[in-house]
Amino acid sequence: MKKILKYLKPYWLIAILCPLAMILEVSMDLLQPQLMSDIVDNGILGTGAPDENLRYVLQTGIMMLIFSLTGCLGGILSAAFGTMAAQKFGNDMRKDTFNKVMHLSFQQTDKFTTGSLVTRLTNDITAIQQFVAMSLRMFVRTGMQFIGGIAVILTLNVNFGLVLTVSLPIQLIMVAVIMKKASPMFETVQKKLDKVNSVVQENVTGARVVKAFTREEYEIDRFDKANTDLMDTNLKVQRLLAILNPILMIVMNASVLAIIFIGGLQVEAKAMAVGDVMAAVTYITQILMSVMMVGMMFQQVSRAMASAKRVSEVLDTVPAISDGEGGADVSGGKVEFKDVAFSYPGFSGKPVLHNINLTVQPGQMVAVLGSTGCGKTSLVNLIPRFYDCTEGEVLIDGVNVKDYALDDLRKNIGMVLQKSELFSGTVTENIRWGDDNASIDEVKHAAMIAQADEFISDFNEGYDTMISEKGASLSGGQKQRMSIARAILKKPRILIFDDSTSALDLSTEAKLHAALRENLKGVTVIMIAQRIASVMKADKIAVIDKGTIAAFGTHSELMENSSIYRDIYYSQMKEGDVI
Amino acid sequence: MAEQRQPVQNMPRIMGRGGPPPHARMAMPTEKPQNAGATIKRILGYIGRNKYLLFALLGIMLVITLLNLAAPFLQGQAIDAITVSGGRLEVDIPLMLQFLIMLAVCYGISSLLTYFQGIFAAKLSQSTVWVMRNDLFKKISYLPIKYTDTHQHGDIMSRMTNDIDNISNTISQSVASLFSGVLTLIGCFLFMIFYSPMLTLVSMTTIVLTLVVTKNLTKIMRKYFPMQQSLLGELNGHIEEAVTGCKTAAAFSREKRSCEEFDKISDELTTASIKAQISGGVMGPCMNVIGNIGFLLVAAAGAYFLIINFNPLALSGPVTVGMIQAFLQYTRNFTRPINEIAQQYALIQTAIAGAERVFEIMDNPPEPDEGKDDSFEIDNVKGDINFTNLCFSYVPGEQVLHDFDLWIKSGQKLAIVGATGSGKTTVVNLLTRFYDIDSGAITLDGQSIYDIPKKKLRGSIGIVLQDTVIFNDTIAQNIRYGRLDATDEEVIAAAKTAKVDEFAEKLTDGYNTVLTEGGSNLSQGQRQLIAIARAVLADPKILILDEATSSIDTRTEVYIQEAMLALMKGRTSLIIAHRLSTIRDADKIVVIDGGKVVEAGNHEKLLAENGTYAKLYNTQFAGIAT
Repeated sequence: MKKILKYLKPYWLIAILCPLAMILEVSMDLLQPQLMSDIVDNGILGTGAPDENLRYVLQTGIMMLIFSLTGCLGGILSAAFGTMAAQKFGNDMRKDTFNKVMHLSFQQTDKFTTGSLVTRLTNDITAIQQFVAMSLRMFVRTGMQFIGGIAVILTLNVNFGLVLTVSLPIQLIMVAVIMKKASPMFETVQKKLDKVNSVVQENVTGARVVKAFTREEYEIDRFDKANTDLMDTNLKVQRLLAILNPILMIVMNASVLAIIFIGGLQVEAKAMAVGDVMAAVTYITQILMSVMMVGMMFQQVSRAMASAKRVSEVLDTVPAISDGEGGADVSGGKVEFKDVAFSYPGFSGKPVLHNINLTVQPGQMVAVLGSTGCGKTSLVNLIPRFYDCTEGEVLIDGVNVKDYALDDLRKNIGMVLQKSELFSGTVTENIRWGDDNASIDEVKHAAMIAQADEFISDFNEGYDTMISEKGASLSGGQKQRMSIARAILKKPRILIFDDSTSALDLSTEAKLHAALRENLKGVTVIMIAQRIASVMKADKIAVIDKGTIAAFGTHSELMENSSIYRDIYYSQMKEGDVI
Repeated sequence: MAEQRQPVQNMPRIMGRGGPPPHARMAMPTEKPQNAGATIKRILGYIGRNKYLLFALLGIMLVITLLNLAAPFLQGQAIDAITVSGGRLEVDIPLMLQFLIMLAVCYGISSLLTYFQGIFAAKLSQSTVWVMRNDLFKKISYLPIKYTDTHQHGDIMSRMTNDIDNISNTISQSVASLFSGVLTLIGCFLFMIFYSPMLTLVSMTTIVLTLVVTKNLTKIMRKYFPMQQSLLGELNGHIEEAVTGCKTAAAFSREKRSCEEFDKISDELTTASIKAQISGGVMGPCMNVIGNIGFLLVAAAGAYFLIINFNPLALSGPVTVGMIQAFLQYTRNFTRPINEIAQQYALIQTAIAGAERVFEIMDNPPEPDEGKDDSFEIDNVKGDINFTNLCFSYVPGEQVLHDFDLWIKSGQKLAIVGATGSGKTTVVNLLTRFYDIDSGAITLDGQSIYDIPKKKLRGSIGIVLQDTVIFNDTIAQNIRYGRLDATDEEVIAAAKTAKVDEFAEKLTDGYNTVLTEGGSNLSQGQRQLIAIARAVLADPKILILDEATSSIDTRTEVYIQEAMLALMKGRTSLIIAHRLSTIRDADKIVVIDGGKVVEAGNHEKLLAENGTYAKLYNTQFAGIAT
């Protein structure tokens, strides 16, 4: 909570002005009943002449109106200040949290899950925000009522203090006990909400599969379960909290009864006046009501606490991949793997990669081949530090990748991922991810190399065509080519293709390769591929098998030396076919 | 990002009553006149589903309100037991105790009822939003693919969580105070009329003032509250996109830019929220002032009436000082519930704005399903598929397929090849009725697929897509998705066929390993194998493989080839692939170009023709020609 509240610091001034304006409103509110009773007692019930009484009513009335307007001003100011402080506080916190999320490494994002991160960034932050807004305004109001009430009641008769010393602790303990129980339940509620969010996300993203297998009803059942779970948990909390109000009321009402009784005895003993008993009843009601309000606020507190905990969890996560010392810059593009081993964090068992030794010279094109799940993607993920290797080292131009500043490292590596991820925006905006400052000609040139220019130009709006949700309306090959264009525009020293031409037809791929050769001279290219035809012309080919490099050489060398390579080759070219 | 976004092209738009265009930023809230009344009515309709609960709650609240009215009276009686009679102070302790006991009973019942009120209110609000969430999800499940293809996923999620949460809060917090407020208002009003209709008239003049203020404030609120909610949705959309696309963001060092964009939306949201909340917060103080003005008017008019002794139509008799005092009490009581309601106004407005966004999705027409032929049996499907004279475009005017003809004979293994974007996947989209054709016909076993119920049509088709969908569940459950009632043995058998067993068994938890959405523990190829196992288990009449093996290496493919061949045997199969090794064995290969079939025949025939197919084939063998 402390960590979260520091976001309120920049707005301390308005945060303080809010309760101050509130005090103005409350004091005006408190003055008004006095004036009203004046109007009744001295005006309407006045002893003077009727028109004099009317004048008194009007005079006091105007005064009352002025007070009332002042109070209104105070109320508006307090609302404005409170809202501003809370919203800006929340805004800063949300931005910081998002920033953190963006810099988490993949295993950490995976651990939180997308659905949960989304709820934390919206729902949880809103809960904290609402709590701050409410406490700024309500704590002051109830505080004034509480303290003022106690002071007055004690001046009326010290014996009434006796009632308070019994009832106040009972109320406070009740509030504390129930809140302590409720707090973890609110955490569970947020977790269940995450689950609901995840099911919705899966269904929206995987709508095609759900429909193809006509699993709508199954999914509705699944959602029903998550939803019912959420409702049940919510009800459990509410049921617990429902106890609080009646108990507080009983204590409050018992106190009122006690006051009347004690008051009665006091009056009989001629220790106090009847009017004072009535006043005491009013004040004790006010004091205990304020405790009840605090109790209600504590519901918000425990929800906000649960949310604050979830947000802090994100804020406290140290990105697993952090910046190196920096200074060095990628200039040549030589990539080396030295005795590299790697396993995914949190997964025991055999490492995904082991004993990897591989050198790619600047300007070379190296292809990586291997069976499904053998670790090809894991291998290239180590270069831009999507993950860090567990043993050995990965070097670029002789410098360990961990020693580069992340930005310096990644700006020199163009990576085309296996799964093309496009973003809402125009085609140009998507390609400009590679370079924000690229001119439209540069964008077109990159698209041309990536063999994307032709189909983009065919769109009615050409390069200004909007990409719909994650590129849903584009074909797999179109998405891949746009991702390639994006990486080319970056003008990287090292270009990595992670099986990113799989959806291209062969002639398009051939054209792409030709264009790459022509336009990206001197750029180191590492290309994961499945098709032999795609890799045959590479300078070197690395064959990965069971997590390590089984063979490394040119096509003809491998045809001679590597049985695995020959296997792959023949799986694609039936024996008997002639090259 | 360019502020002025172009209309979307090459992307299906939602027609008819549909939702907002997918990324029309900021434009939507004020676009169409929104009808708050209709929205409230619909929310009430949802609340009304729990009639008994609602009536029980209202009944309890009625009793509590009455008890709350009785308590001050009993208190007064108890204090009156302490009386001054004949100049001597006398305390009638037994009488006082009698009233105190009555008071205690009254409080006891009231506390008990308050507990039930809390429980019932929670139950009512929770079960109401439960129904709403389920309804919304059901709706989303049956929306056409078009909708999810074109709407920000994060925004849809925001409607499900944030917007519905707001409705829930409002129901649990505001319904109670609204109801008791209205009860008090009516009670006070009746008393006021009883005492003096003329003074009531005077005090009601402030209602005009109330209406003017409310109307103007509402105008502002109706602008900013929906804006706040839709910006929240947009923010959600950005978050969802950024988090799911975080790999690309990292690869392009776009974290900073993404944060900047986020900050921009977040700032916009903050501005809108501040405006909305302040306009909501102004309501309370304003109502307070109006209440005081009303009090003043009544006091002044009362004093004046007293002078001229004017109180026509009153049931309570001529005007007296005591009557005016009582009347003033009621005036004060009259304004209190109005204040309370005013304070809830912001909350209610947020809920209405949220509800509008929820209903907006619900008002989208579901996927059309004209299929009425119940006699269609999946078991009898032969798999004879015919596309005739087919025309289709995602966007009017941009035909993807035109005059497209294709006949897939029952049991045939047909491969479709063609350049990227030539419309191969579109053929699949149309056969499964993810999208509907513009003209022409598609028949299955001679029957138009539009006459077949969608559930049965899709039930007879098994499909493996290029973008594999993995659910956040165990490997076994992911495979079981193909046939929910499959036994563990059947699941494992399917896994073996698709070579899933080779990697699944190596994992510590085997088939019970939980897969994550990001799936860092699984390679893309392994995900495809799981999708294939799913189709194997489904055992469909017609099999569609849309780039189903693109990420699987060719050797593994050879392994599963045997199984695939066995799977395809005797059933109609439609294969889309770029890898010629995958399609070479097809009974028939068709080449699509420019939205039409340009070549058809088996491998040998097409090679002999030396056309497009031969060219593709030769690139495969000649390596990459430069």
